[in-house]
Amino acid sequence: MKKFWLIFWNEYKRHVMRKRFIFAILSMPFFVGLMVLIGFVSVWLQFNDKPVGYIDSYDILEYPQQVPKKEKSIFDPVKSVAYPDEESAKAAMIKGEIQAYFILQETYRSTGEVTMVSNIKPGNNARGDFGEFLSYNIIKGLPEPVIKRLNDGNKLIIRSLDGAREIGAENWMVMLLPLLAGVLFIIAVNVSGGYLLQAVVEEKENRTMEILVTSVSPDQLMAGKVVGNLMVGLTELAIWIVFTVIGLTIAPLFFDIGAPPPISLTYILLLVGTLLPAFVMVAAAMGAIGSTATEMREAQQIAGWFTLPIVVPFWFVTPIMFNPNGSLAVWLSLFPLTAPIALPLRAVFTDVPWWQIVTTITLLCALAYFSLWLSGRVFRIGMLRYGKKVSLKEAFKRS
Amino acid sequence: MATINVENISKTFGSLLAVNNVSFNVEPGEIFGLLGPNGAGKTTSIRIILDIFKPDSGKVSILGGPMNEEKKNKIGYLPEERGLYQDIPLERCLVYLATLKGIEETEAKKRVAEYLERFDLFSSRKKKVKELSKGMQQKAQLITTLIHKPEVVIIDEPFSALDPVNTQMVKDLLREERAKGTTIIMCTHQMHQVEELADRIALIDKGKTVLYGPLNKIRRQFASEAVIVRALQDLPANLSGVTEIIKNNSHTVLHLAPGKTPQEILRVLVEQNISIEQFEIALPTLDEIFIQVVNHAGATK
Repeated sequence: MKKFWLIFWNEYKRHVMRKRFIFAILSMPFFVGLMVLIGFVSVWLQFNDKPVGYIDSYDILEYPQQVPKKEKSIFDPVKSVAYPDEESAKAAMIKGEIQAYFILQETYRSTGEVTMVSNIKPGNNARGDFGEFLSYNIIKGLPEPVIKRLNDGNKLIIRSLDGAREIGAENWMVMLLPLLAGVLFIIAVNVSGGYLLQAVVEEKENRTMEILVTSVSPDQLMAGKVVGNLMVGLTELAIWIVFTVIGLTIAPLFFDIGAPPPISLTYILLLVGTLLPAFVMVAAAMGAIGSTATEMREAQQIAGWFTLPIVVPFWFVTPIMFNPNGSLAVWLSLFPLTAPIALPLRAVFTDVPWWQIVTTITLLCALAYFSLWLSGRVFRIGMLRYGKKVSLKEAFKRS
Repeated sequence: MATINVENISKTFGSLLAVNNVSFNVEPGEIFGLLGPNGAGKTTSIRIILDIFKPDSGKVSILGGPMNEEKKNKIGYLPEERGLYQDIPLERCLVYLATLKGIEETEAKKRVAEYLERFDLFSSRKKKVKELSKGMQQKAQLITTLIHKPEVVIIDEPFSALDPVNTQMVKDLLREERAKGTTIIMCTHQMHQVEELADRIALIDKGKTVLYGPLNKIRRQFASEAVIVRALQDLPANLSGVTEIIKNNSHTVLHLAPGKTPQEILRVLVEQNISIEQFEIALPTLDEIFIQVVNHAGATK
């Protein structure tokens, strides 16, 4: 048992203590941050803070006031400047004082008709801000609660019949969670599996394997490697989750991102219950592939085919969302290779019958165990074989 | 009781019969030479002894029974193709492999430092293994083999990539280990090294044992009826009991007539007042025996 921990710790340390790993860990939040930044830059590039003009010949607005800046808004609203007639507005636009002007039509109160005049395409914000300026000034005399109600709009909550789950338009993150967990799972599985694959192929290539198997049993060696690399993946996952939590804590200070998702403990257990055995299953399989393959490139090709089914549920996100109890969604959540993504996704949109959850998790656990066992055997046969792959028939035969 | 007992082991890979009914014993505290040409089945036999491969038939007993995890800590193995982690510092690599042999980390560090000093590698301890020369890696591999003070040492081609100075050092080390009571199996095709070190040998060819026993006995068995003589003067052209006299630069080989013994020839030389500097039975070298046996096996086939 002690040797298992030695293998485990060595395997864990040799990846986690490397610059490459730290770089990989930080690259994820870095890229997310970069995407957010690029998003801002692209909004900013389309933003034009030059005022807009308007002509209210029919006195629709009474004592118009500028819309105050919103609490969590980065940009000031575009100012709306009144002009007595179209001629003066046009002159101001030609001089470059305003980016566009709006003419409120006589029928505005009944039809909402407004004409916009502009030489160049105005900033994306100009029309929206002028619209807000209009509604702000039209409703400004009304009592405060009414104004708030009008501005907030509807709050639609979709609730299951037994009231166990509900999704509001504001807590959209509940839907995002299984997708996010799925993406992180796939990345972590590929990272762990990749490391494991690499470790086994390298040890075969540099012949360290012979020394190792005369020191520890192939089972201990394989288990230590699988768990060690699994922990590397989980460490990565944990760090990313911490970054996500930090991000979700900081982001609402600056933007309105909706209410935090009400994640139940049952749901977290479901996630762990499906993802963990799936992780072991894939990692062990990668180890087996590594010990049968004769070189890294070949190992990666086989591993690619193996990890492909895991991402399949992502192609069917829409059918799973719209018909979470349909046969496609049910089968995807029962089939062990697609279950890690499909089951948690389904569980957001429907009450998954308990027997299905139990079946899936039992299947995954059994397969994880089987995968470990098989990889131990394949490993034993394939570890010192160079140039010839191990067939499944050989793996099942007594070695 | 023999330290290693190999009984009629056979192993097939696909259609290739790599080991065919091989048997031998290795006694406690001896250096046993496992010899054979390339592809003879030496390494497969060793892997079967080490329980890396299971034999198709036959059985192996090591340290009093079948191999188990506990016994792995009592065995040191130096494989033919060296196996060290290339991307980590030498010291870390050696300490890790030592801990896998059941030594506590602090003790492993201490022993690694001692061995590195002895093997003149201490200044390279922080270097990555791949930065070391072939000879240095070979010495590092030997440290891995011996660091846990094994009861049984199995070494496959221990002298490859070593210069004469380091070859001598390794020989001394092996003799030292034998003096401590360690049982050593040395697998090689460098016959002169075996002649110097081994007590007993087994010669494997095409998966079969073709020679087995104490080295001296085997050499005598293959000895032609001849003696080597180095004398201060020229030997007479005719000597009683000698059928042929062959002169070499430094010595003369006398082929004995049937039924004559070396003692009788020595008496004849003494009676003829010939001053003798050296008189010995002409034993064939292991190289000669090896070639003779392997060629003979090939011819019979």
